[in-house]
Amino acid sequence: MNITDIIVIVVIALIIGLALNKLIKDKKLGKKCSGCPYAGACTTCSSDNIENIR
Amino acid sequence: MKVALTGNPNSGKTTLFNTITGKIEHVGNWPGVTVEKKEGKIKKELNRSGEDIVAVDLPGAYSMSPYTSEESVTSEFILTENPDVIINIVDSTNLARSMFLTTQLLELGIPVVVALNKSDMNDKKETKIDVDRLSEKLNCPVVKTVATKSSGNGLEQLISEAAKLGSSKHKQQGPRILGASKPQNKDEFEAADKRRYDFVNKVKNEVEIRKISSEMQTRQDAVDRIVANKWLGIPIFVAVIWLVFSISQAWLGPWLADAFVGLIDAFYGLVEGLLGGSANPFLSSLLLDGIIGGVGAVVGFLPLIMVLFFCLALLEDCGYMARVAMVMDRFFKKIGLSGKSIIPMIISTGCAIPGIMATRTIKDERQRRTTAMLSPFMPCGAKLPIIALFAGLFFGDKGWVGASMYLLAIVVIIFSGLIIKKITKDDSSSSYFIMELPEYRWPSIKRATISMLSRAKAFIIKAGTIILVCNAIVHILQTFNWQLQAVAENAADTSILASIASPVAIILAPLGFGLWQFAASAVTGFIAKENVVGTLAVTFAVTNFIDVEEYALVGGAGEVSVTFGITAVAALSYLVFNLFTPPCFAAIGAMNAEMESPKWLWGGIAFQFGMGYTLAFIVYQVGTLVTTGSLGTGFMGGLIAVSIMVSIVVYLMYKKPSEVVVKNLSEAV
Repeated sequence: MNITDIIVIVVIALIIGLALNKLIKDKKLGKKCSGCPYAGACTTCSSDNIENIR
Repeated sequence: MKVALTGNPNSGKTTLFNTITGKIEHVGNWPGVTVEKKEGKIKKELNRSGEDIVAVDLPGAYSMSPYTSEESVTSEFILTENPDVIINIVDSTNLARSMFLTTQLLELGIPVVVALNKSDMNDKKETKIDVDRLSEKLNCPVVKTVATKSSGNGLEQLISEAAKLGSSKHKQQGPRILGASKPQNKDEFEAADKRRYDFVNKVKNEVEIRKISSEMQTRQDAVDRIVANKWLGIPIFVAVIWLVFSISQAWLGPWLADAFVGLIDAFYGLVEGLLGGSANPFLSSLLLDGIIGGVGAVVGFLPLIMVLFFCLALLEDCGYMARVAMVMDRFFKKIGLSGKSIIPMIISTGCAIPGIMATRTIKDERQRRTTAMLSPFMPCGAKLPIIALFAGLFFGDKGWVGASMYLLAIVVIIFSGLIIKKITKDDSSSSYFIMELPEYRWPSIKRATISMLSRAKAFIIKAGTIILVCNAIVHILQTFNWQLQAVAENAADTSILASIASPVAIILAPLGFGLWQFAASAVTGFIAKENVVGTLAVTFAVTNFIDVEEYALVGGAGEVSVTFGITAVAALSYLVFNLFTPPCFAAIGAMNAEMESPKWLWGGIAFQFGMGYTLAFIVYQVGTLVTTGSLGTGFMGGLIAVSIMVSIVVYLMYKKPSEVVVKNLSEAV
């Protein structure tokens, strides 16, 4: 394994790590779609709170 | 301090909320866009009080007695959360209708400020409202506002009045319409409503002077007679949709995409150059083809999507889409739905999730569930790259492919609605559809640009997260076999991915695309539909779908079909399959939340799968018969599968209601 391989592994790990981090963060915030501008509002809805609303 | 923004549907609450908070919540020029409350801090430049003020945007309501579930959100918030101030947004072009709610809000004891919104439209029509007199009659501050304007919009004064009232702990005194006793029964409620209407009309007559009375025929009415005409409405709609798809996918879109893809190519070349030949081939390929190539193939369609959303935002903003709901109403009535079901479907062209959520504006449970089941058939933003890919590669970037998919979706929805009506044995008379048509206005370039950019941002984030991770996994799975040894070049058929996807490919063979690459793409599409394009790029090792020159050099679309191993008819079948099979998992989650019935959810998913499979089978087999004179591969197997699915549906349609149901019904009667 040469230095280029190590750099590539680090870059790939960084890219995938950042992507996963964002996905996990969004999941914790209750968003179902990463990136969607309306995800915060539109996916806060669950059967329970619809039942409450009704 | 908490300020509640409330008012009738389509009075401009969310536009005002966006302007005072700087947020970008979805707005639309029709009623029922907002179905959940949203919060945001009011901008410092508008709030001089020194105290933090949080604005809460509530769904539109006609009264404090809720009729639909989103109206309940409004009344429940105001009655239980005790906001410090209520800003009542009143559509000043329709004062009498808007003030019914105002009078109810004034009786709650919470300070109220009335924002006379859309005042610019009144100025144009030379309608004068005596603000001071109205304020005196309602016993609350009244401020003229134009929420769509960024300056000179009256919003600073509005916030100042709200802050003043909020900090003074002033108890609002209502106009004493009903007296001390509260209505107790239906007759008393009706009498109370009548007194309220009388009061509202009296106030309106005293404060408003209209040059153009509402009975007079205006230019808007003349346009509506054509655009919403029983016979002309549909051809006009078809022409508009064809034009929108042509601009986005045949004219302006590809031109912009070409330039954009050049940047992605340059980046790919730069990284390739940096790696040289010194990196491990697997690592190099994972980074270049799996991550950059896979994500780049999806992101390359961004300009086409942006142009399409820009055009759709313009159509929404000018008031045309609300007319489409009116035009479609008569077709929807025949299938037991109403024009109200159209709004979720139009919203679904952006994303199926808010579209499915918008079904909660529909009171009738069966209609709501049916609409939630059928809305995902509309081609959402995530499906557009698939449409653009196949339109570009197999049909020479023709705008008709996208437009025909959009229109086919409407036909499929109507046909499916008819089937569901029969299955659910719905024989109720169709409900009336009453919708307030927004006035036509020049669409705002700024609003359309904001809408387009917010969707573009979402698309890029999605490509950089879920699509990127999926492409990396797909690339790894197709590089190794089950012994975790790298498969030889051109031997990807022995990879883990191929062995997982091949059984699925057998089921798809009668549809014309029985290759494991297409099966894998269709499966990853359930995670996010954009994955279909990304996975195709990774599995076929194509890093650039937009620039078709390399294919054109070696013989055009015919050569592409050799690369993909399918015919143009099979490509169309694949497109239909991806559009009409179940949506992504997130949308299925939204269906689950709105349907509130496992039976409806699983029935819906099965129905969507059956519909997608059957349509793709018909497209491929009939198309192949027409173009080659013989049937396509796997005809008999596909025919058996389709016959079984159709038989089940026909059985359910004509099955007599069970005795239990009949008994329950007779008991109910």
